[in-house]
Amino acid sequence: MSTAELADLLAQVRAGDSDAWGDLYGQYAPAIFRFCRRALPTREDAEDATTEIFMKVRQKLGMYDSSRPFTAWLYKVASNHCWDTLRRRRIRQDLETGDLETLPLEHPDPSQLEQLQIDHDSKHVRAGLAKLPDRARMALVLRYYSEMSYDEIADTLGVRRAFVGVLLLRARHQLRDVLAESGGGLHGAAAGGRA
Amino acid sequence: MSHFDEMTCLLYLEGQLDADHAERVRAHAAGCAECRGLLRALQTESVWLRESLEADEESVPARLVQAPEHGGAPWGWISALGLSAGGAYTVWSGFIEPWRAQVAQAGFTQGNLLTMLFFSGAFWKGWDAMRSLLEFLAIATLGLVVMWLLRRHLRRTTALAVVMGALALMVALPPSAAAAEQRHGDPNYTLPAGEVVHTDLIVSADSTRIDGDVEGDLIAFSRSVTVNGHIKGDIIAFSQELRVNGPVDGNVRAFVQSLQLYGTVTRNVLAWAGDVNLDQDAKVNGTLTAGSGHLEVNGKLVGDLLAFSGDVDINGQLGHNARIRGGHLTIGSRAEIAGQTTALLRQPPDVSTSAKMARPLDWTLTKRGSETSYSSGRYYLHQILKWGASFLFGLVLLFIVPGFFFDAVKACGKTAPAIGFGVLFFFAIPIAAVIVCITVVGLGVGISAMMFWAIAIYAAQVLVGAWLGEKILGEGAGAGAALGRLALGLAILRALGMLPYLGGWISFVVVIWGMGAVALAIYKNMRPQMAAVAAAV
Repeated sequence: MSTAELADLLAQVRAGDSDAWGDLYGQYAPAIFRFCRRALPTREDAEDATTEIFMKVRQKLGMYDSSRPFTAWLYKVASNHCWDTLRRRRIRQDLETGDLETLPLEHPDPSQLEQLQIDHDSKHVRAGLAKLPDRARMALVLRYYSEMSYDEIADTLGVRRAFVGVLLLRARHQLRDVLAESGGGLHGAAAGGRA
Repeated sequence: MSHFDEMTCLLYLEGQLDADHAERVRAHAAGCAECRGLLRALQTESVWLRESLEADEESVPARLVQAPEHGGAPWGWISALGLSAGGAYTVWSGFIEPWRAQVAQAGFTQGNLLTMLFFSGAFWKGWDAMRSLLEFLAIATLGLVVMWLLRRHLRRTTALAVVMGALALMVALPPSAAAAEQRHGDPNYTLPAGEVVHTDLIVSADSTRIDGDVEGDLIAFSRSVTVNGHIKGDIIAFSQELRVNGPVDGNVRAFVQSLQLYGTVTRNVLAWAGDVNLDQDAKVNGTLTAGSGHLEVNGKLVGDLLAFSGDVDINGQLGHNARIRGGHLTIGSRAEIAGQTTALLRQPPDVSTSAKMARPLDWTLTKRGSETSYSSGRYYLHQILKWGASFLFGLVLLFIVPGFFFDAVKACGKTAPAIGFGVLFFFAIPIAAVIVCITVVGLGVGISAMMFWAIAIYAAQVLVGAWLGEKILGEGAGAGAALGRLALGLAILRALGMLPYLGGWISFVVVIWGMGAVALAIYKNMRPQMAAVAAAV
């Protein structure tokens, strides 16, 4: 869909056109569902979240600044919603933050890291992702699926910008550990190596 | 120069280092195979992560095909408003108004419902009680407002826990705030003659005997309670047997198997009992309100009599009116009734010709409750209004706790576990609540559990109805679709409930099924928190 077509569609939705709303939903709902599926732990959560996100989108469409890309705004709404959902469920966020502040920064063994990537396909990675703590999973999804900037990730997760890198590195370590435990092989990559 | 750490390498690859720092990394990596290897591994990992996340191996679920119509078709709201009115009318016409009319006919002649409820009759205890009631209502309203304002910040189960906790607290607070002596029998308890308890006395024992005096209320949880002393407050008893021989300056409120009154009660008697006997030496200066299997009034009742009893025998003096609804009424030769006696009975009454009655008995024969009037239009109107009331309840549930509503509806789909848990909770909660109540300390918890149980029973039909509607029309997205499915499902359940013979059983299964779904949904909502707590520990 071209920018002009999208702008026209959005104008119709704003004017209350139900068909236009259906078209917009049909265009973006699958992508948002896939995003939610990666950000939230279960399929049911992702289904509920997708519906709720589009309800929010319809309510907030008047606040969308058309000078910015629509998809970026849409993902921003979606990521905020998912993070709110996760945050409301969690009571251990502070504990995770504490762990991150004391993260030991050690090199992994590059060869073991490469071996891990060979041993695990995308299905394994996504299954491993579902086992990560909410914040770690969210950070990886926002960065490597939604391609958000460090500023946007910091804003969504409510952390300092300087903390985003630590968050991402910690999330990678946790994912490596999860995959290593499920498939064997990498444990030394996260813990071993040289200082 | 020492190697760069992994953090620096990642930030370098992600373009997050300032120019100088990035240049230093680049220069070092050019001459360091180990750091080059790490950079390459991290870079490959980034690509691997992106590809893995972008890979699309899962289809979009069917329920997401249709766009949610938030704020679209207003039919849901229109029907909701209509049904709200219907629901409110049902509550008024089905519960409040008939009761008000009956009580008014029985001689409680105050002008409106509130005055009648709180300023007279069996419920009036004093201004302290009135103040407590107002405080309770104020707290409840405030709590609801706060919950509404904070709804986005509260986890669904947290909200439930807050409500139940607050209810428990409010119910539990009055006894602990009041000055009261608590006594536990070992296994029996006796207050010896000559001893005086200057506050309220709360007793839990196998057998309780009060020979001394109590200046406050006597609250007893006991198999058998015998009161020979003077009680200056009220008697509130939960027991198998209550025998009151001594004078009571306040009210008697009994939830017992058998109530025997031999003394004088200055105020009112409210009894929910198998048998109630007002002995010929007994005198009640206020009113007698009884829901019982068998009621005998041989003594003197100064105020009104309001009875919902299987059999009623009157052989004593009634100073005012009597309103009786029951199976059979006998008015004996020694009966003296100064007011009007009105009775709705299933059998014609036996009235002794020697009985002295100021006005002739006004009695009407009624059908048994189980005989449904299928030919009556009023019956179908009531069914429609009941359907409206349950729809209204579902609507409130859907908008206050949408997550819980959908979880519970989904849980109805797990038929076997839902029915299994339903049977367990249907029987276990009341038993547990009664056991907890008997310990006195857990009175608030027990009463809260029973309230929750009652709400769950009503919610059961709503959840099963919503599930049934979804099965028939298919899954829908958004609140409007859920309401449509709820309306259809409830209509079908209501129609099934009207079937002769089978209807009652179907309704029972629906209650069990829905209750199990409530249990499963609560479990599902609590599980992440429990896991989090376990992880934190």
